[in-house]
Amino acid sequence: MLNISKSFAGVRALEDVSIRCKPGRVHGLVGENGAGKSTLMKILAGAYKADAGEIVYKGEQRAGATAGEVIDSGISIIYQELALVAQMSVAENIFLGREPQRGFGVLDLRSLHERAAKLTERLGISLDTRTPVSELTVAQRQLVEIAKALSQNADLIVMDEPSAILAGSELDQLFRIISSLVEQGVTIIYISHRLDEVFRIADEVTVLKDGELVATRPIDQLDRATLVELMVGRPLDEIFPQTDHEQGELVLVAEHISTDTILADASLELYAGEILGVAGMVGAGRTELARALFGADPLTSGSISLVGDKGASWSNPAQAIDAGLVLVPEDRKLHGLFTSLSVRVNVTLPILSRLTRFGVVDSQAEDAIVEAAKARLSIVMASADQEAQYLSGGNQQKVVLAKWLETHPAVVILDEPTRGVDVGAKFEIYKLMRQLNDRGIAIVMISSELPEVIGMSDRILVMNDGRIVGEVAQAEATEAGVIELATMAGSRAERI
Amino acid sequence: MSVAKPYESAKSLSGWRLRLFIANYGVYIALLALLLAATVLTPRLYDVNTIAVVMRQATQLGIVAIGQTMILLVAGLDLSIGGIFIMTSIVVADVTNGRDELVIPAILIALALGALVGLGNGLLVTKRRVPPFVATLGMLVLVKGATQAYTKGVPGGFVPDILGIVNQSWYVISIPLLLWLGLNAFFIFVLRRTAYGRKVYAVGSNTEAARLSGISVDTIRISVYVLGSCLAVVSGVVLTGYVGYVDRFIGTGLELDSIAAAIVGGTAFVGGRGGLLGTIAGVLLIQILGTMAVLMGLDIQVQFIIKGLVILGAVTLYSLANVEE
Repeated sequence: MLNISKSFAGVRALEDVSIRCKPGRVHGLVGENGAGKSTLMKILAGAYKADAGEIVYKGEQRAGATAGEVIDSGISIIYQELALVAQMSVAENIFLGREPQRGFGVLDLRSLHERAAKLTERLGISLDTRTPVSELTVAQRQLVEIAKALSQNADLIVMDEPSAILAGSELDQLFRIISSLVEQGVTIIYISHRLDEVFRIADEVTVLKDGELVATRPIDQLDRATLVELMVGRPLDEIFPQTDHEQGELVLVAEHISTDTILADASLELYAGEILGVAGMVGAGRTELARALFGADPLTSGSISLVGDKGASWSNPAQAIDAGLVLVPEDRKLHGLFTSLSVRVNVTLPILSRLTRFGVVDSQAEDAIVEAAKARLSIVMASADQEAQYLSGGNQQKVVLAKWLETHPAVVILDEPTRGVDVGAKFEIYKLMRQLNDRGIAIVMISSELPEVIGMSDRILVMNDGRIVGEVAQAEATEAGVIELATMAGSRAERI
Repeated sequence: MSVAKPYESAKSLSGWRLRLFIANYGVYIALLALLLAATVLTPRLYDVNTIAVVMRQATQLGIVAIGQTMILLVAGLDLSIGGIFIMTSIVVADVTNGRDELVIPAILIALALGALVGLGNGLLVTKRRVPPFVATLGMLVLVKGATQAYTKGVPGGFVPDILGIVNQSWYVISIPLLLWLGLNAFFIFVLRRTAYGRKVYAVGSNTEAARLSGISVDTIRISVYVLGSCLAVVSGVVLTGYVGYVDRFIGTGLELDSIAAAIVGGTAFVGGRGGLLGTIAGVLLIQILGTMAVLMGLDIQVQFIIKGLVILGAVTLYSLANVEE
């Protein structure tokens, strides 16, 4: 792909980017969120049209090919959100729309399953091709996608963040498959946020930043620190900003809380100006803990209250907000942002009662608040009346944060605050968290990234199977120690 | 959080602006084009009498469409309106039996019953999580059935003469027209400038985010259904005054027309986007189109075809404008 440029709605996504992939190699593509990786791949796939530039594949000029032509020419893209029909079998999914037929539109089911079995064999996996996709694990579904790509005779496969949904051993399997595909002459473009993987699997790496090409280098000429610097323009050791504040006063106490979810008998104390990390495996009950603290899920037992002059308790989000709690949910688009509404409406929604007289919104006071939030969080927007959906992901995130900070909370609960966020944006969020600490605000941070939990938290609660199974101070925390607690067997037996 | 830099690419920028323009102003442009076309095709549209007729029809549809728009904004839908018209007509005739002095109590009773229907809709949709289409369709059948059971199929009573004032007009100005404009002004203010209005949009735009923002989502949705039903009662009173007798088929089709007017006016079927100015234009567009078809001597069937094409054309345009990249 040569000199590709593309912009959306007047915002540049790609500027003069070129990437050259050699056949039979794994080409890593890295960059922060919004760097243009996905856009570039969508142009390759024919989903978007480039404003300028050309695509040459196997010596052929192929500008303006449609998605179908791209697939026919041997390029397959496996997106983060897998595109399979859950009710259909593995084989039916692999050959969806290209099923072998026996004339008159009658399907040749035997040939269908035989050919599907051959493909899974080629991938070196054992999978009954008659199993409905809905019964497969996420990792197995991804393999079905790869088989589908092979069935289309793909010799260039793009994998967009394939590891985001995989755990350790599944990842090893994916890498084995990638290696064997490469041996068979297939070219792979591997997009990932996880740099370790890029070092493990890629032969060459291209770094994008802000829609521009930073560098393409063979992997053996790079080390981790250099690669991060290329991506961020900042050395790695600045990632976790440190403070040396002392533990403040007790602000919140939760005693033996349970909800209708997996959460059972959780107790915790929270002090002013600290970050309490919550670690645990997916499904350990961390999000459930956050929702319970915020009153989003009703308690079936136990109690939560703020300590001190406020001494408030609550049983729904509205009361929790009044008491001084906020929750920044895990999925911003789903639970945090009003995409069809203006930035103004998004930011002031929880504090409308402060801005209204007889129910009428004071627009001058509102303007002032939106302007202040824009300046403080450096939100980039055309105007306060711009719809939130037209902002970049990072700015959408800032809008959600601004919304909650305007409520002047005493306690901020952050559920995966940096999920799907690039290194640079992470640093900004960490800095913001420290600023909140300095103002005496207590933070509960749920995160799946152990370096982040250990790097940022004053204390770490480890959850396992709906319970809090341990507390670790930052000084004593190691990744191995936290993982051991989080995966400790026997906690379920204890509960029964 | 990488900073997106503004970048001047004339081609894609103009495409994006064009789409926003269509989404925001399409209905007004269509209305203007129609009015221009009428100067050639059907100049009689501009007779004072014709305008009065258009306005008279527009107010019937327009008052209901206010409520329908607000219900659509919270990602709801109200098909029970037709039942409320009939109920209103019967209550007015039954309670007053032609006596002018009982008009106010009759209207209050109709409003109370209407509010109950709206409450039922709202409770079904929120507390029982019945899809709005099904809940309000069931309510439509229920209310129609109840009115027929009450009247045993033969509606009695008389419409009081005083309701005839809705038929009086000064040029095109009439009480229903003022009512329509007044209600629009009031609810436009509510939607744009009050906390309640903000919450209506928020609930429709992202229900879970609204809940987590401390909005009592159920209360907002129920209140909008109650409002919608009460506005349907108001429209029903006006209609009853127009007709002058109890009509079992009064207002048939207005529930679907009101949805069409709101959608043509740019209110999103999925909620959270749109507003009453667009709906006013949508109402006028539908009524003027119908009147022009009559003036051109087209068959009623052809009128339906034209109406259908306009609705489909509008939603097609909006879906083009809403393609997210």
